[in-house]
Amino acid sequence: MERASAASHGRKILWAVGILILATGMAAAQNPSFYTKWTNYTSANGFPPGEVYCVTVDGNRVWAGTGHGLVLLENGRVQKVFTTKDGLAGSAVMSVAVDQLTGDVWIGTFGGLSRYSGGQFKNYTNLTSGLANDLVYGVAVQGQYLWVATTAGVNRLDTHTGSWSIFNESNAPFEEPWTYGISVGAEKIYFAVWGGGVLSYDRANHYWKPYTDPDGEMELVLYRNQGLIHNIVSSVSWNPDTKTFWASTYFGLSSYDGRNWHNYLTKDSGLPSNFINAVKSRGNQVWACTQKGLSEFNPTTNTWVTYRPDLKTGRGEILITRPDGSKRQIASSSTLAHNYILNLDFQGDDLWVATANGLSHGTRQPRKVAAIPR
Amino acid sequence: MKVRSASPAIGGSRPRNPVAGIAAFALVAVMAILVRPSVASAAPQAAGTDSGSYIPRSQYLSPVAMTLSADGRRLYIACEDSDLVLAVDTRTQKVERRVRVGKMPRGIALSPDGKTLYVSNEDSNDVTEIDAETFQVRRTLAVGWGPVGLTTDRDGNVLYVANTLGDDISLVDLKSGREFKRLEAGHYPEYVALSRDGSRVYVANLLARVAPVDRPPVSELTVIDTSRQIVAARVDVPGVIQMRHITELPASAGGYLLVPFMRPKNLNPLVQIQQGWYLTHGLAAIRPAAAASDGPKNYRVAEVLLDDIDRYYADGFGVAATPDGRWALVTASGANVVSVVDSAKLRHLLQNTPPARQQELANRLDSASHFVVDRLLVGRNPTDVLASPDSRFAYIANRMDDTVSVVDLGRMRIASTIDLGGPKEISRQRRGERLFFNASHCHQGQMACATCHPHEGLSDGLAWSLETPQLGRDVVENRTLFGIDGTSPFKWNGKNPNLETQDGPRTAMYIFRSQGFSPKQVNDLVTYIDSLQLPRNPHLTSNGHLTDAQARGRAIFFRDRTADGRLISPLNRCYTCHSPLTHYTSRVSMDVGTATHYDTIHAFDVPQLTGVATRQPYLHNGEALELEDIWTMFNPEDKHGITSDLNKAQLNDLIEFLKTL
Repeated sequence: MERASAASHGRKILWAVGILILATGMAAAQNPSFYTKWTNYTSANGFPPGEVYCVTVDGNRVWAGTGHGLVLLENGRVQKVFTTKDGLAGSAVMSVAVDQLTGDVWIGTFGGLSRYSGGQFKNYTNLTSGLANDLVYGVAVQGQYLWVATTAGVNRLDTHTGSWSIFNESNAPFEEPWTYGISVGAEKIYFAVWGGGVLSYDRANHYWKPYTDPDGEMELVLYRNQGLIHNIVSSVSWNPDTKTFWASTYFGLSSYDGRNWHNYLTKDSGLPSNFINAVKSRGNQVWACTQKGLSEFNPTTNTWVTYRPDLKTGRGEILITRPDGSKRQIASSSTLAHNYILNLDFQGDDLWVATANGLSHGTRQPRKVAAIPR
Repeated sequence: MKVRSASPAIGGSRPRNPVAGIAAFALVAVMAILVRPSVASAAPQAAGTDSGSYIPRSQYLSPVAMTLSADGRRLYIACEDSDLVLAVDTRTQKVERRVRVGKMPRGIALSPDGKTLYVSNEDSNDVTEIDAETFQVRRTLAVGWGPVGLTTDRDGNVLYVANTLGDDISLVDLKSGREFKRLEAGHYPEYVALSRDGSRVYVANLLARVAPVDRPPVSELTVIDTSRQIVAARVDVPGVIQMRHITELPASAGGYLLVPFMRPKNLNPLVQIQQGWYLTHGLAAIRPAAAASDGPKNYRVAEVLLDDIDRYYADGFGVAATPDGRWALVTASGANVVSVVDSAKLRHLLQNTPPARQQELANRLDSASHFVVDRLLVGRNPTDVLASPDSRFAYIANRMDDTVSVVDLGRMRIASTIDLGGPKEISRQRRGERLFFNASHCHQGQMACATCHPHEGLSDGLAWSLETPQLGRDVVENRTLFGIDGTSPFKWNGKNPNLETQDGPRTAMYIFRSQGFSPKQVNDLVTYIDSLQLPRNPHLTSNGHLTDAQARGRAIFFRDRTADGRLISPLNRCYTCHSPLTHYTSRVSMDVGTATHYDTIHAFDVPQLTGVATRQPYLHNGEALELEDIWTMFNPEDKHGITSDLNKAQLNDLIEFLKTL
């Protein structure tokens, strides 16, 4: 009897623990976690001063492009700041791409293109290679090809043969040659063209297709959701999970899934600004790097969350915009280094964010934030 | 140190008995004392008689790379001229199997289980996979341009192949037989070695990185991490070129990587040849980084010379450490000598030389006396060297003799010479080839033709201060010997109307600073040089058609009007000076505005454009490191063709066309 009673008592405890765990889980589900732990790398702690133009994660390595060189962080620690003295092509580093196959790191600078491999830099410039222009904004790896976005069009380098190709208004539908960003998809490669919209290059059939603003208006949106929101495109991001490309412009955000366009503006979304420097998308996440904070958009729930230092006080704030347009603001004990966001990359669930005043590392935390009275 | 020539007659099938060996040694020692032959006159005994008759080059074997079975019983040999791989029984010293492979086999590797051979075929850009027992060809694996050195990883899953002409390394999945990755190497990667722990593949690059010609060369040891299959380090080896084979001493012997090199003083006037110390030859001794701390700065590079003060051992090629770590053997392919390094003494020297004085070792001609314990005269043009698993014997491939020398390491003497069965008649071309690789014609044996034209005729990529009335002026870039038949005159000043003039008294007087070649030898040498062909050009499509970019570039090359329709003067059209009728050279000298204030002339011999893709750097003084530089930096007045009207895309197209030539 005693043994049976003890067994019954044990089962009750197990049930109680189980219910507690379930309840805790449900509570957690109802209170989604936010990025509330931010570690900032700024001139205050020895990071190069000023803007961080780009950030690229490669395993436990993080490459950050600044106006004063290329920073390598490993496991959250700054290992090295590479400058032109180390062999880097230019001081202002605008883009970094890691070839996952070869391990080579390709770096776009305002002094040309660099390759970092085995601890040595090799440079490619307009004078010494087939590079179209030394102002390199974007780099991306597609198998044995390297794609390079420059102010004078797009380059493709065949790394096996050393052959350079140039694509610009003379041989592709570029309205403007000034190209900012590149995103490699399974079938197409997408290019963000300043003033020229988005261009795609079909990898198998070798043809180009432009995506431009149907109304052609610089400031107005006449045809909502009928095409790209604006032709001044700052970056493009192909999301393989949703088969959609996202384009950030200086006048709003656009997405295209092959059938439908969706455009987003501050007036009818959670975007804190229509001036967007970069966009990156994966799964159900769309991250917009705006001049007034970093926004995460979930297209499935139509919810926006913006992270930034308060524009007046500098304290951390998280702005939530629900599908019905209602907004909520909560405080965060730490926040991004600056609200002018230039770029970001993912490290698992963590974020690395390039801002106008340093690099920020964000970690998602269970909710421990207090609501800010409105 | 005298070179020891104790080679028995060709065809000796096995090591002699000890008494006979001692007697022979004593006889040779007495002869050596009586005759006192100089090293320069110590020509190796060799099979064959001279012949003026035509014998195709493919009849000769030219053993160039070897590997041994794990039990040391079978020696596998790649023979580059005959396209054959041989298997030699090391006990009977007879060739027991042979198999035909691709064009110009240059490298050979055995799978870890010993069942499969991989042979790189430089001229057919592939690797032949062979059953090591039956010698049946299993399959052919496509790789990059000009494969030479190769090795599998420790598990035998991945094959690493150094593509010499492509400047890269192919990684082949041995299950599927497909190349799945290509890593960029340094410049002309030739030979590779798997580290003893299997964690790294080391790649030695023959030529220095392409860099401004007024700086000493810097070569690269490329290090591949085999777990991640990426380039982990590009290690600078300063001041040297022509790194070839690699061996790793056991940890008990210091764990150094040893790589033969040549150390040129090309920025000094060539007249210094007659003072010596102009071209020196030695070993890079590189301490690898621990696996956990890679990166080039974690590799410590020291350099030591193998030369003696008054005698040089030109063109280091093969190197092998005995498994017990006691010896390292280095072939001097231009001196027909194997230097025997006592690795303990070498280690002692390196460890007891303060870091601040390490650099001195690279320049001291007395260093070798500290660690070279013997010099053994072997066959002609020794290339690869291997040590037997029991550390008792070493095998040396003598490329120009079609033989293998067997060294008894216990007695430190040549035990026997294995005749691989090449023709006994030596053709004129073959005689010329032997001369090409032989440094004995140069003052103190500092250099052979092959020293500055490695890889059998290549340019070494260096600028040299040749003879001139004003020392230090007229520094000129070396030129290739591939495909030069019909491109006379020679030299950048165009003064030599033919190769006989180039290679005859002029070479003796201004380059070798010695007696030079006899008229008959000059004829032989010219016959050989004229036979050197350009390698296959991978920039051409398999059907020979030009790509769109190449076709656009061709149209630019042959245009006679500028972009805005103006007529281009005939003298300023590409095809006038680079005539397609004669190897893309007009065979005259032209002033294209590239002379500098260091030059005493302004017009230079128009170089042929055939094979131009493999000939970095460019222009007479090597100032143009890339083809682009010729027009973006060194043609400001449109004297080197009208190019200022070309946009960047058109210039790229033009270069794409030139690369097909």
